[in-house]
Parts: sequence; C-alpha cells; structure tokens
Amino acid sequence: MEKQRRVKSSSKRTAIIFGILFIVIAASVLVYIYSRTFAKSNRLGLPMTKLAFDSIMARALPALIGMSIGGFLIAVMSQAFQTATESRVLTPSMIGFDSVFVGTQTIIVFIFGASSKIFSNAYINYLISAGAMVIISMLMYGMVLRKNKNNLVFLLMFGLVLSGIIRSGSSYLQLIMDANDYMQVQAATAVTINNMNTRIIYLAAPIMAATGLAMILRHRTYDVIALGRVNAKSLGINYDREININLLLIAIGMSITTALIGSLAFLGLLAVNISREIFKTHRHSVLFLGAGLFAVIALVFGQAMVELLQAAVPLTTIIDLLGCSYMFYLILKENKKV
Amino acid sequence: MIEIKDVHQSYGKGKVLDGVSLRIKENAITAIVGANGAGKSTLLGVITRILPMISGEVFWDGFNLKQVKSREIAKKIAVLKQTQSLNIRINVADLVEFGRFPYCGGRLSDADKAKVEQALDYMDLQLIRDKFIDELSGGQRQRAFIAMILAQDTPYIFLDEPLNNLDIKYSVEMMKIIRKFVTELGKTIVLVLHDINFAAAYADYIVAMKDGKIAGEGPVLDMISPEILNGIFDHNFHIVEHDGKKVCLYYDNESRRKHGGYTHNHDSEHVSRHGDEHAHNRGDGFARRNDDKKGRRHTV
Repeated sequence: MEKQRRVKSSSKRTAIIFGILFIVIAASVLVYIYSRTFAKSNRLGLPMTKLAFDSIMARALPALIGMSIGGFLIAVMSQAFQTATESRVLTPSMIGFDSVFVGTQTIIVFIFGASSKIFSNAYINYLISAGAMVIISMLMYGMVLRKNKNNLVFLLMFGLVLSGIIRSGSSYLQLIMDANDYMQVQAATAVTINNMNTRIIYLAAPIMAATGLAMILRHRTYDVIALGRVNAKSLGINYDREININLLLIAIGMSITTALIGSLAFLGLLAVNISREIFKTHRHSVLFLGAGLFAVIALVFGQAMVELLQAAVPLTTIIDLLGCSYMFYLILKENKKV
Repeated sequence: MIEIKDVHQSYGKGKVLDGVSLRIKENAITAIVGANGAGKSTLLGVITRILPMISGEVFWDGFNLKQVKSREIAKKIAVLKQTQSLNIRINVADLVEFGRFPYCGGRLSDADKAKVEQALDYMDLQLIRDKFIDELSGGQRQRAFIAMILAQDTPYIFLDEPLNNLDIKYSVEMMKIIRKFVTELGKTIVLVLHDINFAAAYADYIVAMKDGKIAGEGPVLDMISPEILNGIFDHNFHIVEHDGKKVCLYYDNESRRKHGGYTHNHDSEHVSRHGDEHAHNRGDGFARRNDDKKGRRHTV
C-alpha cells in the first residue's frame, strides 16, 4: 500500500516536471517569435505588417524546427553515449565526432571540387559524410573506446588529439585548395545556430526525427545496458550488437546535426546531467525525454534572449561557458571519488 | 547439464585457458579455486559467454551455447561479477525487476512482479526496497544483486568472487544463502573463490586451476589435502579437521613447526581464533614471502 503511494507520488512528480517543461518550451517559442518580429519592428520603429511578419516567419520557422529537433537529438544522443560508455562526462562531440564532419567536408571538396555534384547535392554529400563518420566511429570504438572505457582522461585526450589532427589537417587542405572551393567549404562547415544551414532542413528533419525516435523506442535496452556489460549480458542482451547499433545511430545523428546546426559541444553534457539530477531515475524513457526538452529550452529560450537583448555574445559561447565549467566540476568530483 | 569441452583462451601471448574440459555437477556448489592468474575468472566468463573464447565448446543440455539466443541463455544461466558500484540512480526494487528482463523485455506482467516480490522476500530486502543502491552497505548491495539473479529464475548461477570486499560476517551470510539456494531451490551454483577455507567449508565440489589448466577436481573432502593443495598454490598447507569439515592452515608454517605444530581435531575456538589472528598479523609477511619465492624461482 505504502509502496504504491510512493510510486504514484514519484510518477506524479515526473509528470508535473514534464508539464512545466512543455509550458516553458511553448513560452520560449512565443518569446522567440516575438523577439524576431514585434521586438525588432519596435526597435526599428517600423510597423509590423502582415507581409513582413510572414516573410520573417518563413525564415524563423525552419530555424525553430532545426533548433528543436537538433537540440533534442543532441541530448538524446549524449544520454545514449553516456550510458554505453558508463560515463557522466563524455559526449560524442568530446571525442571528436563533430571534427570528423569538418574533415569529411574538406576532403570531399579537395578531391572532387566544390562544383561537383558530390559536394553540392545535399543528399549525396550527406550520405558520404554520414558513411565516413559511421566507419570512423566504428574503428574508433573498436580500437579505443572498448578497451579504455574506464580511462576517462585517456579518452578525453584521445578526443582532443583526434579533433586537433583533423582540424589542422583540414585547414592545411583548405589553405592549398582553390579559393572558390575554400569559400564553399567555409560556408558548409561554419554552421552555427545563428547561421543555420536551412537549405537541408527538409532532408535533415526527417532523418533526425527518425534517429531520435529509434533511440527512444530502444529505451528498455538502454536501461539494461546501464547496468554494465556483465549484468547486461547476463540478462540476455546481445551486448556487442546493441553497442554497435547505438554507435551507428549516434554517427548518423551527429553527422546530420553538425551539418544542420553546427557543433554544440557542451549542450548535450548540460542537458543530460540536468535531467539526471532532476528526475533521479534510471529509466531512459524519462531521461531521454527530459534531457531532450532541457536542450530545446536552452536553445530556443537562449536564442530568444540573445535576439531580444541584442546581446553581442552568441548563444553557443554562453552554452560552452556553462557546460565547460560544469565539466570541470564533474571531472574534479570524479577524481575525488577515486 | 553444463559441459565444457577443450576451451582455449589467451590474452596476447600468455595462455589463460589451455584446453579446459569440465562437467558441472548438478544441484551442488562447485568452487573454482587457484592462485591469481590461474584463469579462474576467465573460465567462468567463457562458460557464461561474458568473455569470448578462441576455441572450444560449451554445451547446455546438449545444445551448443554458441547457437542459442542470448535471451534464452539468460533464462538458464545467470552470472554476477564481484560487488559492483553502479553509475545510475536506481533503487533496490527496480534493480531486482531487471532480473525479469529475459522474460518480459522490461514490461513486467503480474507474474513477473510476483517473482520480484518473492526474490525481495527471500533475500530479506523488503525493508530497504526503496533505498538507492549507492546508499547501501557492501553486504546489502550484494544481496540486492543476488536478489536480481534470483528473480531471473535460472537453474544455473555463476558468481565471480562473491565475497570480495565483504566483511567476514557478510561473507558467511552470503555463503549460507548460496547453500540455501542449492538445498531449498535446487539450483546449481559455480563460484570463483579466493579463500580456500570458504571453499572447504561451503562447497560440494572443488575445481582447482593452475596455469590455465585444471589441476584437479573432485568432492571437497578429497580435494582439501596437503598433497593436492601444495602443488596448486606453491605453498605448504596444513590441514586440520573440525566438525567433519577440513580447515586449511597456511599462515606461517615454519614457526608453527617450531612450536610443535597443531594436532588434528583441535577444539574449534582455539583453531579459529588462532587462524584469524594469523590472518591479520601475518598477512603481509605471507605475501612478501611468496614474492621472495617467486623471485628466487626466476633467478634459477
């Protein structure tokens, strides 16, 4: 009897938090739209006509969709990655996933040229970069992650060095390539949430939604994987296969989000840990949704504030600053535990 | 019945398992003993498919385990590694619910829930069922994990060093529970043990390993003898009998010989108190001497 009451109260609490999160998201969306339309017209002293509103919305809506799905997916992927690596600190971008994207773009242009279909056709380009990221991440996992799961410092170092090598290699290639090609690579890789690559939104949104959904539907498997390799295997999980599927999904998701909204290194870390602290559960159904919603709020509300206050600091910088400090805290805490 | 045939495994150049074949005795406790690096845990891991093997076969009731689905194996064989900490916030009851995963994939039916309640009752965990795992003592945490594999309801249970990090009190408690699993629930248990005396006191069969091979196997009373143990552990053993069980004394043999040594069938208090004292006081010396011995062997 008492147990039932406790279960009820804890699931009630979860429901209330989700309710609040959805309200906050709705409010953030309204503030975001307001900041780009009426706030702007007030500032410029121009009337807000129907025509102007529509034309702004035509640009704001894809951005809103991109931010929401992208942010949500980044958080879900980070949670899945942390579960698989049994770590609270690592996220896919921290071990160099997004620099792989820059690398593949540069190499494609370097070999085929910016005018070739392979680069300019968003679909072919995406397939190639996603394929490259899948292969590289599988290699990386087989050689490094699997054996050094408990060696956090090593993995962070590895990620740092890997992204360093890929970035400097890319900038070398960019230096010696044709000036026109260079401009094209820059345009493709210098994507941020302010400067979203909305050209590919109709390709990206379905892929991102499908990837996120696939992970959420697998939430029960992630629950068991979180118990560690031996327990998961003892409970009948085909561990290696599940981990490979997980990596595959993450590689697909990372390549498309990086292409659409650029690198957001610390967003996933922040969202995952906030949701973990607030929901205090092991259930990935709750953790995935919670982390995803926090990430959406951080992006949409943050972006709205930046527009509204005409802040000179871009949102990514703020998120990185917060996330970075939080990561320091986590690393120090983990060190103390050992 | 579980049967292992000619299993090989190696890490790098060193052979960890070198042609191991074994039949596991039903409805009994089998303890795998041996020195560090003899391949005990690897053998356990290979049988339960936690670790891969280079060659060899494991049969369960005549089926080759390689051809059986993971889910189906999980209904027959449960395995638990030594006491572990988890990275997640999970309470005892939720952890035990995971034991039903092979049957329901995480969607518990009423029958599954009943099994969970049974396991919680059996392991005496009802009072702490809502506590988080990381708030528990080592002994309680171990009991929670054991309850999980009890809910898994498998005829075979494999335990890798279940007494690691447990106090003497909890170790004895754990071994008594394991004994009850065999007598009351008819389970077959295989466990890796570090302490030969726990094996001598609670196991039915002993499998002794040395250098990746089985150095001897048999009923516990036959196996606990100086002739067999001295070879397996490279150390001089002295065996005393007490209440029909054998106890190994391996602490500081030289000084005991000087004082005339123990005679057989000592009264229990004397032996156990003495044994404990020696275990604490001479632990270091014992280890160091062992190292010396190894060092000497290398130079020769």
